[in-house]
Amino acid sequence: MEPPPTVPLVSKRLCGDLQQAITALAWSPDGEFLVIASAGGELLLLDFRAGCEELLRGDRDSSLDVLGFSSDGQFLVAAGQSGELLLWELGGPGIRPMAMDPIPLGRGWIDAVAWQPRGLQLAVAAGRQLRLWDGASRQWRDDTLDLPGTVQALAWSADGGQLAASCHGELALWRPCLSRPPAPPLRNTIASAGLALVFSGPGNHLACGLLDCSLLVWPQGCHGQPWQFSGFPAKVRHLAWSDQPGRLAPLLASASKEAVVLWTQVSQDSHAWKPKPLFWHERRVNALAFMPGSNLLASGSSDGTVALWDGRGQLLQPLEGEGPGFNVLAWRPDGRHLAAGDAQGRWWLWPVAVPAHEA
Amino acid sequence: MAFASSVAERLPVTVLTGYLGAGKTTLLNRILTHEHGLKVAVIVNEFGEVGIDNQLVVDADEEIFEMNNGCICCTVRGDLIRIIGNLMKRRDHFDHLVIETTGLADPAPVIQTFFVDEDLRDELRLDAVVTLVDLVNVQQHWEAEEVQEQLAFADVLVLNKADLVDEAQRLVIERRVRAMNPVARLLTSANADVPMQQILGVEAFELKRALSLDPGFLAEEHDHEHDDAVGSVALVEERPMDPEKFGGWISDLVSTRGPDLFRMKGIIQFTGKDKRYVLQSVHMLLDGNFDRPWKPAERRRTELVIIGRDLDAAGLQAGFGACVA
Repeated sequence: MEPPPTVPLVSKRLCGDLQQAITALAWSPDGEFLVIASAGGELLLLDFRAGCEELLRGDRDSSLDVLGFSSDGQFLVAAGQSGELLLWELGGPGIRPMAMDPIPLGRGWIDAVAWQPRGLQLAVAAGRQLRLWDGASRQWRDDTLDLPGTVQALAWSADGGQLAASCHGELALWRPCLSRPPAPPLRNTIASAGLALVFSGPGNHLACGLLDCSLLVWPQGCHGQPWQFSGFPAKVRHLAWSDQPGRLAPLLASASKEAVVLWTQVSQDSHAWKPKPLFWHERRVNALAFMPGSNLLASGSSDGTVALWDGRGQLLQPLEGEGPGFNVLAWRPDGRHLAAGDAQGRWWLWPVAVPAHEA
Repeated sequence: MAFASSVAERLPVTVLTGYLGAGKTTLLNRILTHEHGLKVAVIVNEFGEVGIDNQLVVDADEEIFEMNNGCICCTVRGDLIRIIGNLMKRRDHFDHLVIETTGLADPAPVIQTFFVDEDLRDELRLDAVVTLVDLVNVQQHWEAEEVQEQLAFADVLVLNKADLVDEAQRLVIERRVRAMNPVARLLTSANADVPMQQILGVEAFELKRALSLDPGFLAEEHDHEHDDAVGSVALVEERPMDPEKFGGWISDLVSTRGPDLFRMKGIIQFTGKDKRYVLQSVHMLLDGNFDRPWKPAERRRTELVIIGRDLDAAGLQAGFGACVA
């Protein structure tokens, strides 16, 4: 065991308030914008280059739940309770974001959207259908993916080639952009509802957290049968991969109730993954995020703390909020700032020093 | 545990059921416009019927999740888990949640969701299942499975459209409904106009309220002229029960007959115990604990009401009787 670092990773902070609980955070790819959404539908843009903030939307009494910048930073999307897709177009420095006309979907609450990495396709979960909005043509694409149940989670592979979507009973893998006509999706039967989906950057592994207290991990390239891990204390609701290649796979973190587990692949057989439980949180963990370029993990919990862990599972520093639990976390793409949002509407921004042995 | 939510902190939920045309939307509009001082959020499964400005009304598409190999008792409503999860981030902005089910919905998965799902169990509490009965038309669809289930699962039964039927007709329906579900609170209304305090804040799923009904009901002679598949059996025993025998009998009952047992409510007198034991169940989900000491003036005895399908009254009576200490 190493002695804890003598210089704290975090020594100052910025914060501010919205009217209702923070539900989503997103950084622009260049790290110059941070957007913050609330359960009251507020949307706040922090512009670090201009040094100002702008409320893109005020309190609407209708929750926003998902946010995202396109990979080229041209578009910002927000969606939630109203069932509409809200889009902004971002210009150069000094040009304020332009709101585009809202796009109604009519399929109820939207809580999953994702921009394609290295591309301009926006995947949107609309009830039992996965739809693609093309940022280049600014239109819906004709090809859609229909699932047997309401889409619970979706994720793009890091290269932007593959799209995964899960519902109760099925996890579909789709390559929507490669061929015309598009290849049929690969449909995997799953025993329960997939609640969390995430692809690793290095190796293209896929992990899926399930409602029935289990976790599925597909091997490199999503080929073959997944490993299945069960016995979690509750739903496996959050997952995160490190972007650092490991010996066989990057580090995977899972959250189930207050339990965070760090997973390391040690072999290729049936006991391939070694779990390391991380003990700190006393209530449900709501967010997990690895620092870009590092194995440093941040976990945010309803217990009102954010914990910073090293790649071996050692607690480096706990960060206290002001009581209310943390709902969301997001690292600036350069890994130098961690943003967090709490259940009372306060957002936090912590500059983080990279620990020596993680740099 | 320091963080466990107390009953008072959990958000109360009312489930509104009733066959097509029974008056659910009318009642829902009354709940939303009534000056009861509560901010009510509503989840509707029938789109576009409720439209009241400045009220939190959310649409959800009914979606059944079968867990654990399709066992009926582990069937929950996935749409409610997802939508309520989203809604609970706005917890500070409403005090009560009402779920309106479609006329054809089976209430069991809705109820079970609040006991099976970890988040809903921690953050919400089921207040009551309120079922509207259409006094004009119910006779035409008695045989519908949904109707019988909605009656069987109810904590509050609202016999609606009383102004459109005569007294004799109402009594016939009331008697038949009572035979199926003797433990629900019975209200009669026109235009779904019922006192709000009779349907909100009922706490029907709190164990201490188990069997808080008219004291006379168990003594009543229930008529058995109807051959409805769904019915009820009331069991009474003056002598104290043996905890082991009773525990064995009731767990065996729910594990073998669970799918046919809709609701059970009971107060048990165990031998050598000063406190009364209260229990209730929904299908196989059984909940019970020691409640409060018997009061000096109280008649110490065991009362158990079972509501279910194709109940064998004699067999149940025999099994129950064998549990006497």
